[in-house]
Amino acid sequence: MKKLSRWLVAFSTLALIAAGCGGDEGEDGDGTAVPTDPDEARVTEVGDGEGEVSIISWAGYIERGDTDPAFDWVTQFEADTGCAVTNKTANTSDEMVALMQEGGGQYDLVTASGDASLRLIESGTVQPVNVDLIESYDLVDPNLTDAPWHTVDTDDDGTGEHYGVPYQWGYNVLMYNDAIFQGEAPTSWNVVFEETTLPDGESNQGRVQAYDGAIYIADAAVYLRAHNPELGITDPYALNRDQFDAALDLLRQQRELVGRYWHDAFVQIDDFGNGEAVASSSWPFQRNVLAAENPDFKSSTPEEGVTGWADTTMMHTDAPHPNCAYMWMEWSLNEKLQGDLAAWFGTVPANLAACEGNELLTDEGCATNGLGDFDQIEFWRTPQADCFDDDEATECVPYLEWVTQYVAVIGGR
Amino acid sequence: MARWTGDRAGSGLRLAAFGVVVFLYFPLALIILYAFNTQSALFTFPPPGLTTRWFEVALSNPSLWAALRLSVTVATIATVIALVIGSLLAAAVYRTRFFGREAISFVVLLPIALPGIVTGIALRSSFAIAGVPFSTWTLAVAHATFCIVIVYNNVVARFRRMSPNITEASADLGATGWQTFRHVVLPNLATALLAGGILAFALSFDEVVVTTFTAGNQQTVPIWIFERLFRPRQRPVTNVAAILVIVLTFVPVLIAQLLTREERQTGS
Amino acid sequence: MQMTARRRGPAARISGFFHRHPWSKLTLLLLPGLLWLGVIYLGSLVSMLIYGFWSQEEFTGLIARDFTLGTYGKLLEPAHRDIIIRTFVMAAAVSVACAVLAFPLAYYMARYATSRMKTVLYLVVIMPLWSSYLVRALAWRQILTNEGIMNWGLERLGLEGVVRAILQTPIIGGPSVIQSYFALFIAFVYLWLPFMILPVEAALERVPRSYLEASSDLGARPWFTFRRIVLPLAKPGLIAGSIFTFSLTLGDFILPSIFGQSQLFLGQEVFQQVGVIGNTPLAAAFTLVAMIIMVGYLLVSRRTGAFETL
Repeated sequence: MKKLSRWLVAFSTLALIAAGCGGDEGEDGDGTAVPTDPDEARVTEVGDGEGEVSIISWAGYIERGDTDPAFDWVTQFEADTGCAVTNKTANTSDEMVALMQEGGGQYDLVTASGDASLRLIESGTVQPVNVDLIESYDLVDPNLTDAPWHTVDTDDDGTGEHYGVPYQWGYNVLMYNDAIFQGEAPTSWNVVFEETTLPDGESNQGRVQAYDGAIYIADAAVYLRAHNPELGITDPYALNRDQFDAALDLLRQQRELVGRYWHDAFVQIDDFGNGEAVASSSWPFQRNVLAAENPDFKSSTPEEGVTGWADTTMMHTDAPHPNCAYMWMEWSLNEKLQGDLAAWFGTVPANLAACEGNELLTDEGCATNGLGDFDQIEFWRTPQADCFDDDEATECVPYLEWVTQYVAVIGGR
Repeated sequence: MARWTGDRAGSGLRLAAFGVVVFLYFPLALIILYAFNTQSALFTFPPPGLTTRWFEVALSNPSLWAALRLSVTVATIATVIALVIGSLLAAAVYRTRFFGREAISFVVLLPIALPGIVTGIALRSSFAIAGVPFSTWTLAVAHATFCIVIVYNNVVARFRRMSPNITEASADLGATGWQTFRHVVLPNLATALLAGGILAFALSFDEVVVTTFTAGNQQTVPIWIFERLFRPRQRPVTNVAAILVIVLTFVPVLIAQLLTREERQTGS
Repeated sequence: MQMTARRRGPAARISGFFHRHPWSKLTLLLLPGLLWLGVIYLGSLVSMLIYGFWSQEEFTGLIARDFTLGTYGKLLEPAHRDIIIRTFVMAAAVSVACAVLAFPLAYYMARYATSRMKTVLYLVVIMPLWSSYLVRALAWRQILTNEGIMNWGLERLGLEGVVRAILQTPIIGGPSVIQSYFALFIAFVYLWLPFMILPVEAALERVPRSYLEASSDLGARPWFTFRRIVLPLAKPGLIAGSIFTFSLTLGDFILPSIFGQSQLFLGQEVFQQVGVIGNTPLAAAFTLVAMIIMVGYLLVSRRTGAFETL
């Protein structure tokens, strides 16, 4: 026993010493990807494929017919280019950022939403994309081509560098089980934020869900913007301390109602299918999958407004397969892929030509998925302490605090 | 030592024991049942119909085969490392007294007694600090670490049963140390090594926690199952994968148990 | 008998050397193991400890490798304390339940089973362990869901009221069976039960029959014999089993995400900090808590002789 404690002391001392000496810069070769100078678009021409490409994405974004044979946009790419696609799904933007940063040169691409993209750019984890090498870039929706979440002037030369290729965009819907709502579609987010009696006569307590990513605080802010105008919320991603605390209070209230916080799209599908949950903020993807089995599962767009996400395919600074990565980025804008994916996920394509002539999407698909609502959607962005403006007087709560506070709320504090 | 002397247990005890066995097995029975379920997404009870098509779907899925190959590779490497190191340590520890002998027994036990996340995140931290990227080898290293104790325990138990006189006699008869080892010690150890190796292999095959932290982009069979656990339209495929794992590990584990039966009976 | 002179080949010379210098043989035997365990394993634990002294930068999320105690300090925040306590209580409850459930079978195996029956029962107990922990967990989800077999069975027996009553109880209950600690508890007990049965059985095997016979000869009733003789002698096995059930529950992050109401457990917190937030320092801090609990438990149980039954 004494010998053991002597050894423990020895190890702990060692640890303390090592930790103290551990502050070295230039962390190349330590597994975390911190590149040296990412401001230049690295690739000047696309050579031969390296044989594979690995992509981090949302579940359902990279389909090879596994879930439904009609939805497959990977096998043809693999046949055409010889680049085998490996896909790692992530459930929140935080996961994507963590994977890219700790990837250690394993991942080539990521479909990053607006709340992840800027973090990846600032930390130098992704490299600028040479859009001249992407033929279809001209077909991208003008709303998206120079969007601030992926076009940033990092080298201060007056023009922004493109850090990715837009993929799809969409918004968070209020998904519900019509067998419970009996035809009375919910028009307000109050069914998930406040205790109410649902049309089937029972309380909504324990039967609703909420997203377990910290960015959901913005949804609470959107709700408060409509119901508590005295708080003065304008941008749900730029919240000052009072607005942030009010949002947290609303979320604490919601905690009492939530049966489970959903993290994985497929788990939520399971929960709704089993009748464990009847209403929740969700992605059109879950609604589509459930509705295909049972038309009772529907969604609505509540009147307070919605948050959304615009995803960009970005490339790791140390991508091990740059040529295949560029080939994929070009392929990602392919009309048929864009239309099929939009139909599958319930999103709007980045390549608007896909809105017409696609069997799976149909010609009304883009409108149904929200094409005309682009300006009303509050797209995900990473909250920053400077409130996104140059006004020194305004101070907002930065994202890391969003994360720690939201985890605490979920934990019941 | 408790040995069967012919008396019977009370009916209460037998019922309770049987109840525990039922508790252990009826979920497994359900797993096997649902592998044949016609439903692809939601599972209701009783299942509406039975089909064998999921076996075809699972077996024709290339990613499952890739995961199987990786699992087998990692388990094999880990087992070999564990066999070598575990038996060397057991040989050192079982007879000679030396400073730190107790500590070694303790430390060997740690990887399996501490929560998997401890081992997982500890190894992950050191791989990051050392700059080693994730690969099959990092996985094998991680698995070997908690497999060592299994081999170690088995070999120590066997050494204890071995009379020290054999090695002395062998030396007296003029054999060198190496000859003694090859012709006397090794045959005695053989079954213990085999049993330990088989158990280590099976442990590595089903491990998921440490693997999640040290695998990077690769998928072993448990990770593969993890990724697909809730996929609608393909649910029974995970059940099929589970049956595969059961079948693949049943025979080796049976053999391991038969080989070490004697140790347990003499209570060593 | 005359020993014939043999050519002293290199193998013989080496083994002769080792025979004369037993310590060098010992060192050679120990070296690979020590290197492995010392450098790779213990070294990893140390490096994890080091990570706990670093912190994560606010906006970029990258790790700042400057010494700070703040990360360890974060463990004292109420939300984090909750996580630790919640996990600890669940681990304790699961260990106790496993001990209770394991005993009948272990006792039967040790005392009454024939040799062949014993081998069969060993296999019976061990097989579930090798059949994919994940799928067994999912099986419980399928059993406990509203449309699963449990409800089906209870409806047939007219016992739905029992379930509803359980769901009403404050801490254990919840809006539905799957979304309650109760389901999580059952799943944990199920998964770790074999780990408790085996050591307890090994310990019970060592209870000499003579003790039991002497006890009944002296007039003690079976329950008294059990309480005063069998139970104390089985203690090492119970403790050895609880080492596994405790540590497995402490570190698990998969089950609490399938059952329960999104209340975070220690394993999930670690997983989230590493995989989602990228805050490896805080994850390391939490892991250290788990490690301290287990090492403390191990050191205490070493004295009770529990290690002989592992």
